[in-house]
Amino acid sequence: MTDQTTYRPDALTGNRTLLVIAIILSVVMMAPVAWLVGLSIKDNKELMLGTESVFELPYTLVNYVNIIYSSQAFGWFFNSLVVAIGQTAGVLVLASLAGYAFARLEFPFRRTIFVIVLFGLAVPEQAVIIARHQMFNWFGLHNSFIGLMLPGMSSAFGVFLMTQFFKAIPKEIDEAALLDNASPLRIFWKVLLPLTLPAQATLGIFTFLHAWNDYWWPLISATKKEMFTLTIGIASSQTNFAQSEGLGFLSAQAVFASLPVLIVYVIFQRHIVTAVSGGAVK
Amino acid sequence: MSASIEITNVTKRYGALAVLDDISLSIKAGEFVVFLGPSGCGKSTLLRMIAGLEDVTAGTISVAEQRVDTLPPGKRGVAMVFQSYALYPHMTVAQNMSFGLENIGLPKDEIERRVQQAAATLEIAHLLDRKPQKLSGGQRQRVAIGRAIVKEPKAFLFDEPLSNLDAALRGRTRLELAQLHARLGSTMIFVTHDQVEAMTLADRIVIMHNRKIEQIGTPMEIYRRPASRFVAGFVGSPAMNFVPLRSVAANGRTVTIGASGLGEIHAAFRLPASFSPEGASLGIRAEDITVLPAGQAGIALKAEVVERLGDRTLIYGQLADGTKLTAETDGRSEARGGDTLQIALDTTAIHLFDAAGTAHHSEGD
Repeated sequence: MTDQTTYRPDALTGNRTLLVIAIILSVVMMAPVAWLVGLSIKDNKELMLGTESVFELPYTLVNYVNIIYSSQAFGWFFNSLVVAIGQTAGVLVLASLAGYAFARLEFPFRRTIFVIVLFGLAVPEQAVIIARHQMFNWFGLHNSFIGLMLPGMSSAFGVFLMTQFFKAIPKEIDEAALLDNASPLRIFWKVLLPLTLPAQATLGIFTFLHAWNDYWWPLISATKKEMFTLTIGIASSQTNFAQSEGLGFLSAQAVFASLPVLIVYVIFQRHIVTAVSGGAVK
Repeated sequence: MSASIEITNVTKRYGALAVLDDISLSIKAGEFVVFLGPSGCGKSTLLRMIAGLEDVTAGTISVAEQRVDTLPPGKRGVAMVFQSYALYPHMTVAQNMSFGLENIGLPKDEIERRVQQAAATLEIAHLLDRKPQKLSGGQRQRVAIGRAIVKEPKAFLFDEPLSNLDAALRGRTRLELAQLHARLGSTMIFVTHDQVEAMTLADRIVIMHNRKIEQIGTPMEIYRRPASRFVAGFVGSPAMNFVPLRSVAANGRTVTIGASGLGEIHAAFRLPASFSPEGASLGIRAEDITVLPAGQAGIALKAEVVERLGDRTLIYGQLADGTKLTAETDGRSEARGGDTLQIALDTTAIHLFDAAGTAHHSEGD
């Protein structure tokens, strides 16, 4: 038996190397974020003279105050929130139902349909964007929340993830519920769906982040300023920042735009690591 | 509540592959029946067909004289305990036990009463608020049984429920299951490949082999009067000795048997005229072979390996012609590997198996 307290020089060196690599990577990844936060709390006039002043006092929250009074950022923020939450909810509902069906139900051409769905992973958005634009135009869906949310709801990745997760749940759980006189809908809702919580949290985060950061489709679909999402709104304000708003204000908007993502990630991260189904089945 | 179960000409096929072939079996109300057989013999499939988790290709299944093979699992009035327990991981023990009762719309106070009663019976009342991952294997096993008990089913179905437990816990749970059966008086069907579980728990054992029922009988009937060479070899540890036959000569009820390495044996048998020694064998259990005291003449057995089990000693050896034979003697035996021992057979405990494997038992047995 291995004594866990035994000193093993190789393992210790390996751990230290990993730690150093992790610290370097963290610095590389966090440096732009720190730079952004630094810029956001500096006066625009100072930054126009040179961004080195980010390392010097004084700092100010005036850029954040200006977001409240002199920008449409709150409106765009609201739009982004509606689109991201709506899209996430849609993906979770559709992917869960589809995953359950592909993993558990018997129906004709199940495998063929599943393969067709998976082809969705291989088709880049750019390849279908013109057709999609035209279709949404016909239906009058541009410049609407539905129009912004709908394309992201068809998540091939989500269906794949949920299918695999449902497949990983032992069939005896369904069978026990069947013997407990539960209907298929009740088995899905009360027994299996709660067990997919870790997958739902993962998928929810991915979808929310994607929807929140999406630039390409809102740029095409939202042409009216009041329907802009944050990404489009911030990008549109970049065009004249040198004359009016300035780098500090723009950075403050970017920090403001990142906050919900950060909050969502912190909340859901706990759910990802909680393996709800662990331990009940051998 | 207990009910009879009637299985009539049941067949199960997956496409062209037959898994069960024309199975018929009557189980009396309150009986504890064990399906015993090697892996892949179809015993779990038969249990799952009774539960409604597998369709019946042909034949009928009735519970309490009501045909159930066309009903969904939840409407058959049976409860099942799975090998993997199959507890709902996100529900507490109490929720696990009450889920089935909620589904049939029982009033809350009745659900509460049944859950508390079952929890008290199984001594898991202190675990009701815990989730399955916080329970040990034995506790999960009890919860799974509790989930079945609260439904007050007409019959309990157990699919190898002890195989995930360690040896000590398995023995204890086996005893508790026997006590539970005595207390509830319910019909129970128990699937296992462990003959000790089968012998100790069953009122009757159903031995299954190659998609068919090989024999149905009480544990001692199965052990002392196996219907076939398969049953004789499958039940009992060590397995029954089989010695090829060379000749059989009947003189009234006394049959003179010539078997490899054993010489001529006289025993009382009622053999059919068609019985031929071609491909036939003599069967005898290790405990029906006596190791004679030194100086007494018998059949020579050269000991190869001696296993001392404390209360008894097993001697694995070979006869003069090289035929392998296992004998059992008491725990104080001083036999060693390499010794040549003298043995005698209890001729009333001899079985003869024809070429097809059908058993013929000594009339003295």
